[in-house]
Amino acid sequence: MDLRDLYQEVILDHNKRPRNFRVPDPVNRKAEGYNPLCGDKITVFLYVEGDTIKDLAFQGTGCAISKASASMMTDELKGKTVREADAFFEKFHTMLTAPATSEVEMDALGKLAVLSGVREYPMRVKCASLAWHTMKAAMKAEHEVVSTE
Amino acid sequence: MPHKFEAGTPNIAGSVGLGAAIDYLKGIDIAAMQAYEDELLAYGTKALSAVPGIRLIGTASKKASILSFVMEDVHPHDIGTILDQEGVAIRTGHHCTQPLMERLCVPATARASLALYNTKEEIDALVGALARVREIFA
Repeated sequence: MDLRDLYQEVILDHNKRPRNFRVPDPVNRKAEGYNPLCGDKITVFLYVEGDTIKDLAFQGTGCAISKASASMMTDELKGKTVREADAFFEKFHTMLTAPATSEVEMDALGKLAVLSGVREYPMRVKCASLAWHTMKAAMKAEHEVVSTE
Repeated sequence: MPHKFEAGTPNIAGSVGLGAAIDYLKGIDIAAMQAYEDELLAYGTKALSAVPGIRLIGTASKKASILSFVMEDVHPHDIGTILDQEGVAIRTGHHCTQPLMERLCVPATARASLALYNTKEEIDALVGALARVREIFA
């Protein structure tokens, strides 16, 4: 497999200029995510009003895959309802954990489909999913630490 | 005693491997090996120092022949994945030394370990693969 399939332009762009890389104000949900195996640390901030994600942002350090995944997640989920975000999480997670050879529904994933190359690199799947698990934890509780281990 | 307090499966393969490594090293001229590794380290230090955007971490005069480094704007895990695809195996991450990484203000490092079985050509291959990393992350 070509490295360019993993490091696509969209991913490199989000790595270089992460969107919503900030602490939003106001915030009413927050969680920390940690991948002890590689040291990636991320904090996801949410502002949920009623049933809608009004704002979504992140801070932290990580590789290009984890940063790009977090950045694209904030773009994708902002403005969605909590239920829609949950449904998107499920689709994204199914895609990431499906065998590299299997056919998965890419159309529904929009831009996030560029991360499907990660499946060829099992070591890096957790890089792509860290922000998403952290977002899920933030939805559930006001302060929570999640770990990929 | 004290074996009854050893829970779980001991690292049997590791012990056998260590024994085999000691046997192997006994048949080698240690002084010559050290001189060779010093030479590799000097060559590697010079080669990596010449790569733009690379910063070596740890440059003590009598250190073992390992090269820890970081690259501007590229996380060590991305370096590792690309190098792997180019046929160069290194270790990346915090190397179980999180407090030191914090002290050095780096999230992780990339690390090439040189030993008696490595060659200068392999160091050249490492430098070549790092150019590929720069190309992808340009």
